[in-house]
Amino acid sequence: MVDERTILLVLPILVLQIALMIFALVDLIRNPNPNGPKWMWAAIVVLLNIIGPILYFVIGRRNY
Amino acid sequence: MKQFSTLLLKEWRENLRNYKIFWIPVVFILLGVTEPLSNYYLPQILDATGGLPDGAVIELPDPEPEQLLVAVMGQFQLIGMLVLALAYMGSIAGERRNGTATLLYVRPLSYVSYFLSKWLMASIVALISVWAGFLAGYYYTAVLFSAVPFGEFLAFAATYSLWMVLVVTLVLFASASMPNAGLAAGLTLAILLILQLVDSLFGSRWEWSPLKLPNYAASFLDIGPDATALIWTFAISLACLIGLAALGIWFSKRNRAKTKV
Repeated sequence: MVDERTILLVLPILVLQIALMIFALVDLIRNPNPNGPKWMWAAIVVLLNIIGPILYFVIGRRNY
Repeated sequence: MKQFSTLLLKEWRENLRNYKIFWIPVVFILLGVTEPLSNYYLPQILDATGGLPDGAVIELPDPEPEQLLVAVMGQFQLIGMLVLALAYMGSIAGERRNGTATLLYVRPLSYVSYFLSKWLMASIVALISVWAGFLAGYYYTAVLFSAVPFGEFLAFAATYSLWMVLVVTLVLFASASMPNAGLAAGLTLAILLILQLVDSLFGSRWEWSPLKLPNYAASFLDIGPDATALIWTFAISLACLIGLAALGIWFSKRNRAKTKV
């Protein structure tokens, strides 16, 4: 059912999602004072696709 | 001028270090790619999520590539603007809260440079995001369906870019005028939603309004907008942009007087 074309088409989305997740995780690890427990943000970033990292960057980062 | 380039360097570093220059474009690209892709796989998605009796045949017409690009723009109008408003709501209000602003206020600061450096950096990030997202959407639409003429696409994306810059200016104005970041985002979204509602209810009575920029952008993919209406809309949008920037500069200057140390 999953042919090569599908994989090639969906691959960029996966790469971007993983990139977004890695940006968020690297920032979370280096962040001394996130807005909430670190393990909670790690779970949100890893478990919620796309929305998780956005939530972390907007709410969890305390950049305002 | 020297002050401006120093402040711009500060903004650039800040955007680099809090990853805004990476994650905002990635979100826009994901929005741009998902729209054509989910349309392409719609039959399989319907098949897999089920609920249809065996042997049901659905004939889905192939969507026009223009419609897909307009749908991508619809995503930007909703999620994209939300992301930009939330990402930049704190650019001035947040600095007042965390103390960076006090460090700046004790120096002979040009508030024009201060505001415009933030505005330029936020606009650059917004434009990179919008163009990356549209190009990704354009590419996927061309591969999966058929290509929109590239000239029309350029006019479409360029017109929409002016709208995005206007939105960024509004966000920064709100951030300068409001006491905290949450209120700044709230004010931005409230203004945008109310004006869009007004424009969609009574918008047929006038042709020249910055809120019609997305519509005019979309009509470039169709028959093309009316030239005079477009020129007047551009002129009024630029006037709004300059007005908002001037108000933003005035408010950031006033913030200094309100600082308690």
